[in-house]
Amino acid sequence: MPDDLAATYLDEENIHVELTDSLLDINAILNRVKSPKAGAIVLFAGTTRDTFDSKPVKQLQYSSYPPLALNTLLTIAKEIKNKHSLTAIAMVHRLGVVPISEESILIAVSSPHRQAAWKAGEEALEACKERAEIWKLEEFDGPDGGVWRANRDGQSGVELAQRRAE
Amino acid sequence: MASTKPPAGQFNMLYFAAASTYAKKQSEHLKAPLPVSELFDTLEQLYPGIKEKVLSSCMLTVNLGYVDLDDAAGIKIKEGDEVAIIPPVSSG
Repeated sequence: MPDDLAATYLDEENIHVELTDSLLDINAILNRVKSPKAGAIVLFAGTTRDTFDSKPVKQLQYSSYPPLALNTLLTIAKEIKNKHSLTAIAMVHRLGVVPISEESILIAVSSPHRQAAWKAGEEALEACKERAEIWKLEEFDGPDGGVWRANRDGQSGVELAQRRAE
Repeated sequence: MASTKPPAGQFNMLYFAAASTYAKKQSEHLKAPLPVSELFDTLEQLYPGIKEKVLSSCMLTVNLGYVDLDDAAGIKIKEGDEVAIIPPVSSG
């Protein structure tokens, strides 16, 4: 987590992408995409789970390369907005420690009709998980310490305890 | 970012996630110019084992642009550049 980051964002017409170390605000993101032209808003809220492979997770921590991650999120948002002719799209990811069961990501999309919004919401999330330069550190109770997760293979990444021992 | 502007003759090297855990730091200054093709060997000398355990699954950016490591012949990292090791991502 960079020390000087509180919230950083990029805006284009009807597009908002943001990284923040604060609690995510569902009403705020809905208001960003709300429009008289849109009959549908789809909101995805990703929350932190308390287990991975049945191991209890103590806490999750996200770090990022903010300027690159924002560029990537903006590119994704533009692609999805154009592809589905959305009215608006907003993507916000939280960084730093995210206590269990709080939101780590919010994606809101609006469109004239619901079908495009459902599809766009899912595609935006999948693209973000695949491409955005953001990393999740899962910290476990006990001797396992923590691991950097990798979305690509669904496997645990580097184990901190093992690294330290080397 | 924990990084600072590099002094003359150096570039900024950033480490994220598994790379920062392995190097035990988030950034440092290294000597420029340096051919991209020699970067991983340079890091291996500083952090023995990092190539196989971390870098083999990572991507590389120079000044916020991805560099194709299989096609990096002739590309040089210059003084003042910002270079980053990008491990497999895990947002969401």
